[in-house]
Amino acid sequence: MEKRRPVFFNLLQIQLPVGALSSIAHRITGVILAVGIPFGVYVLDLSLRGPQTYARVTGMLDNWALRGAAIVFVWTLAHHLLAGVRHLLSDIDIGTQLPAARRSAWIVNLGGAALALAAAGAWL
Amino acid sequence: MKLSISRYNPERDSKPYMQDYEIEPGPQDRMLLDVILSLKARDDSLTIRKSCREGVCGSDAININGRNGLACVTRIAELKEPVVLRPLPSFPIIRDLVVDMTGFFKQYHSIKPYLVNHDPVPERERLQSPAQRELLNGSYECILCACCTSQCPSFWWNPDKFVGPAGLLQAHRFIVDSRDQAKQERLDDLNDAYRLFRCRTIMNCTEVCPKGLAPSRAIEQIRLAMVKDSL
Amino acid sequence: MRKTVTGLRAWLLQRASAVYMLAFIVFFLFHFLLDRPHSYAAWHRWMSAPGVSIAACVFFAALLLHAWVGVRDVLMDYVHTAALRVCALALLGFGLSAIGAWVLRILLAGTPG
Repeated sequence: MEKRRPVFFNLLQIQLPVGALSSIAHRITGVILAVGIPFGVYVLDLSLRGPQTYARVTGMLDNWALRGAAIVFVWTLAHHLLAGVRHLLSDIDIGTQLPAARRSAWIVNLGGAALALAAAGAWL
Repeated sequence: MKLSISRYNPERDSKPYMQDYEIEPGPQDRMLLDVILSLKARDDSLTIRKSCREGVCGSDAININGRNGLACVTRIAELKEPVVLRPLPSFPIIRDLVVDMTGFFKQYHSIKPYLVNHDPVPERERLQSPAQRELLNGSYECILCACCTSQCPSFWWNPDKFVGPAGLLQAHRFIVDSRDQAKQERLDDLNDAYRLFRCRTIMNCTEVCPKGLAPSRAIEQIRLAMVKDSL
Repeated sequence: MRKTVTGLRAWLLQRASAVYMLAFIVFFLFHFLLDRPHSYAAWHRWMSAPGVSIAACVFFAALLLHAWVGVRDVLMDYVHTAALRVCALALLGFGLSAIGAWVLRILLAGTPG
């Protein structure tokens, strides 16, 4: 019986180019957003049900924990949206060559973080 | 110059291990392959595939400091030390830096990498205008070194179902070839949740291609061809 | 059986839904920056307007389809046992359908969700 051959597959030792970072974050933020859909729908429900529940929703940012969650949500949505736009543009052959692709990946990664910092600035 | 090279002898070792080397590069040594061969002159058991030593055969593709590349065209002056050499990621290791390329070639063959033309054989060539020939640029130059495919996360997760960047680049080469008559079949074959559509445009392939090719762009072009086809 | 939801169809759905959601989010953000509703009544009135209500329904349809394609991609990449993957996809489908029904109740029925 032939012994199974080993493989080199240590992700910590394999380089992560800026585009790959953008991409894995796109996937992670996507999963977070998907999991968050029921919560989002619940908040929408509360806001439309009646004045008392509406007041609860508008008062949400008074809660420090929810404020933190909202800032994380802004980063999550911002990164997913910006990375998504980058993908839509590459679909129509904009930014598909390597130098442009690297630049757009930097813009996406920093843009998401910048928007989250802006939200933190406004809400903290 | 300090190097750390992955060693593995299936007859002796239970798993690969890193071996450290120190060597003074000779006055003529400019490329990584030169240094590796000097090391081999000292320790003959060190094993690597190599042939043309000028970046056209694709034999010496290895993982250099975490990033795939061809040893024969990688300048040692540009490498951070200690230089860590490992075999291509996710491919079964046969020995030291030599990997099993069977899976890689299986995907390549699956896209039918040959011209399909049922017209009677012409006396001389099947004619092609310069503009038509231009379309092959950026795809035909692939040397099948597997740097791209072994750096592609989507290929890591599904090597038996996803064709991979190299295979898809070659599929593109034949899809845009004006002399090929199997465009529809090629597009249909790739229009599958796994064959082409595992690609997430991560673009690791384009990052590491030692020939400066852009498989990710070729894949986008195939998708556009499919969209045009379906409308 | 291989081509049930061909790669192209799912990919187009993902892209089309993304474009619609992008447009809706931009429109929504602009409205909130320029003309924020200041009371429950104003908010409820705006959301009940036929244009907004229908656009919002389409937004959620797009969102759920987009989430379906996205999470399906994640499952296809990482879950290699066919039976387990099929179960996970089925659960995903039911979950998203349930959320869809919930959203319809909230936006159109006028009754509390």
